[in-house]
Amino acid sequence: MPAYRPCFVPFSRRHFLQGGAAVGVSLMAGGTSAWGAETGLNIYNWDTYIGETTLDSFAKKTGIKPRYDLFADNEELYAKLKSGNPGYDLIFPSDYMVELMISTGVIVPLDHGRIPNLTNLNENFTDSSFDPNMKHSVPYMWGTQGFGYRKSKYPNAPTSWSAVFDDAAIGKHSGKIAMLSDNRAVIGGALKYLGHSLNTVDPKEITAAADLILSAKKHYKTFAEDNGQDLLLSREVDLTMEWNGDVVQVMAEDEDLSYLVPAEGAVVWMDNMCVPKDAPNPQNAHAFINHVLDAEVGAEIANTIHYASPNAAAKPLLLTDDLSNPAVYPPDSVIARCEAVIDVGDAARLYDEAWTRIQAG
Amino acid sequence: MENWRDNRSLFAALMVPPTFWLVLFFTLPLALVWIYSFGERGPQGQTLLAFSFANYARALEWIHLGILFKSLAIAALTTAISLLIGLPVALGIAFAPKRWRGLLLVLVILPFWTNLLIRTYAWIAVLRTTGFVNTGLEGAHGALSALLAGLGWPEALGQFEPLSLLYNQRAVVVGLVYVHLPFLILPVYASLEKLDRSYLEASLDLGAGHWRTLVSVLIPLAWPGIASGALLVFILSLGTFLTPDLLGGTDSIMIGNLIAQQFGPSRDWPFGAAISFLLMYLTFAVLWVRAGYANRQQGQVTV
Amino acid sequence: MSRAGNPFDYARRWWMRAILAASFLFLYFPIVALIAFSFNNSKRNINWRGFTLKYYEKAFANEALHDAFINSMIVASISTLVSTVLGAMLGILLYRFRFPLKGAYEGMVHLPIVIPEVCMGVALLAFFAAIKMPLGLTTITVSHIAFTIPFVAVVIRARMAGFDRSLEEAACDLGAGQWQVMRDITLPYLKPGLIAGAMLAFTLSLDDFVITFFTSGPGSTTFPIKIYSMVRFSVTPEVNAASTLLIVLTLGLTVVAMWVQSRGDGGAGARKEGA
Repeated sequence: MPAYRPCFVPFSRRHFLQGGAAVGVSLMAGGTSAWGAETGLNIYNWDTYIGETTLDSFAKKTGIKPRYDLFADNEELYAKLKSGNPGYDLIFPSDYMVELMISTGVIVPLDHGRIPNLTNLNENFTDSSFDPNMKHSVPYMWGTQGFGYRKSKYPNAPTSWSAVFDDAAIGKHSGKIAMLSDNRAVIGGALKYLGHSLNTVDPKEITAAADLILSAKKHYKTFAEDNGQDLLLSREVDLTMEWNGDVVQVMAEDEDLSYLVPAEGAVVWMDNMCVPKDAPNPQNAHAFINHVLDAEVGAEIANTIHYASPNAAAKPLLLTDDLSNPAVYPPDSVIARCEAVIDVGDAARLYDEAWTRIQAG
Repeated sequence: MENWRDNRSLFAALMVPPTFWLVLFFTLPLALVWIYSFGERGPQGQTLLAFSFANYARALEWIHLGILFKSLAIAALTTAISLLIGLPVALGIAFAPKRWRGLLLVLVILPFWTNLLIRTYAWIAVLRTTGFVNTGLEGAHGALSALLAGLGWPEALGQFEPLSLLYNQRAVVVGLVYVHLPFLILPVYASLEKLDRSYLEASLDLGAGHWRTLVSVLIPLAWPGIASGALLVFILSLGTFLTPDLLGGTDSIMIGNLIAQQFGPSRDWPFGAAISFLLMYLTFAVLWVRAGYANRQQGQVTV
Repeated sequence: MSRAGNPFDYARRWWMRAILAASFLFLYFPIVALIAFSFNNSKRNINWRGFTLKYYEKAFANEALHDAFINSMIVASISTLVSTVLGAMLGILLYRFRFPLKGAYEGMVHLPIVIPEVCMGVALLAFFAAIKMPLGLTTITVSHIAFTIPFVAVVIRARMAGFDRSLEEAACDLGAGQWQVMRDITLPYLKPGLIAGAMLAFTLSLDDFVITFFTSGPGSTTFPIKIYSMVRFSVTPEVNAASTLLIVLTLGLTVVAMWVQSRGDGGAGARKEGA
């Protein structure tokens, strides 16, 4: 097995082939049927993760009224679809999950001919490591993980992972730090601090990272369940490791808060639109993907939810506040140091056992 | 207790519908997962069928047993505190005037019709360092300090130190008690409501004090409700994962979290199934013992 | 109604009232916080930023929220009804009969309480996929019935434990058939147990996320699914507003029901209690 080396442009494709991962291209059967043959559109996404008018404008444009159902995380989405598609047409998995869904046949290849707006996308996002040439997925939104922190408590910004792993750097912030309750993200941070890839499969590196976290654990208040931003806003902690979008929300409420990606790099993520196998209305799903990629529609979504859009055509229409906010659109130099989480196959057990050890210790 | 042979038609009428439903929509599906527990995790997190006890062996490793023991201790503590709070409440409702009972019962259950997650977030708002409790205490502390300063003791109370009410095991226990209280109150209420007050009055007439009456008459009479309620609270808090996730500190992992993790991020369903079934075997044993004990007791009474 | 006449009117004793008050304070502390934040002019439940009703307006205007709420109510009502009946049968059966392998049977029927929800959710998903049953409100309801039956049975059985069988026997001796005995003696006695069991079932069903998620299909998003799905981005105070409305509505209905009842049999009830 080839070592996973850091990707310097995180979403560009990794240049090695995984044995047996090449999925036979089966162009969609029934691609010739008329639009009218499909009756609706069942979208499966997170709540509050779409524009306020996106569904209505699609209905107006096409006459199709989409049904919008909700899931809560990638793993549940996968569990739900792997025993058969209950009837969804369009799903929004994250990067590593797209890779997993391709290799397990949960999602089908897309028909690019039905998505002319693909040309609106920023080229940095059109050839990702987890799905080369967008064969199965189209980028929706992207972002990073990093530190949300209270500026008045950190005269010197916590620019390095040492702020959560090094006793001296933690100093008086001991007990005022929250980490994310996310196995790969936290161990990934420690791996980055130690100079390794956050997708390593080397047991020694993973063990060293877990030991580092265990030794620093006494300084943490909690492993926050995706609500670290609340702890930060309520002054329960001075610093929290969080997803960028969550911190952006509390920054709007308190000017003393800020966000940065540690210098060693961190997780960069991307959510994508995919069509699951046996979708009842695949053509309508393609039409919706095309709709989202429209410049105005894409801008409306991004301006509502304040996440970074991969849509280049939408850029002139985006809120300048978001564009100039490094928490939403981090500088390229920061992105270059980040890595997307990829599925590590059998090594997942190493991460899992390390994580149990961290939590129980 | 009747022998089923003595009244076959009633026995069948009572047994068939619930058994049919449970076997079809619970036991059969569960059998699938039981088979998983002997399987293994594929490289992509698929569940590969096999016949191995590796998952059970792994579940019995010290680190996982440690988590199990800690969960048992927390569940036991939760049950004890729930009893302390729940018994008087159930008693109060059962002895309230009849027309108030409905309202009191609704009042007990109403908070639980609000989503668990929302309620837990509300708890966080109450308990955090700048939460309602600490703010209230700080206000009281300030007023008292001012008063004492006026009386000539300026530094008597010192600086206000907010209590750390969140992100530790105590917070987890408080949260668990809160979440599971109705599971204790309702069965105890159901078994207390029918109590024949003449027993109690007889006890009083015989010169027993109120407390003795309570302990020696009421508790034994309400015992079936207390036992069932306590068992429900214990089992449910053992398998919980949301409360320790949100209210606990860095070492609050419970067995429920471990299981949820296997079915979630770790995508190791066989291992998750094995831990779940270990819990199941354990409870099976307890219920079996309890059933045997109950049978014997009932036997003694009727014979 | 004098004290001497009813020494066990615990509800009238100050210490009992104090305990009840303290317990209700505990139960309602977070609810008060939740209600307060529904009026807060901030997206997050942290700092007070002024009074607003806008989240109520939004909650009223939010169709997706209504749909989720209605789905939850449908599932909870139907599953409570069915599981109360089935659970009562099971409870009576376990109380009344001795039969071979009862210990094992008891273990089996109580399993849904023991098995972690996620395990059961995964099991049901695999099962429905295997029998090709389309996922939706039906599968959610069917699953909710299955996992609430044992809770009802536990309560019913605890209630039955103090039942005086001689009543049934007397009725039989007077010539009542066993169905008549069931209807006229056993069921009225069971009423408080049925109410308590139904309340537990309804609460469990209304608030269930894990099993619901795995058994839901397109168009069957429930209230808990909506809330858990919001968490990744932000849980909006609309949810607080909707929860507040539910609380106020339930309380209002209960008080009205009580008032109607007390008008209906007020005189008789008072006399009975005084006696």
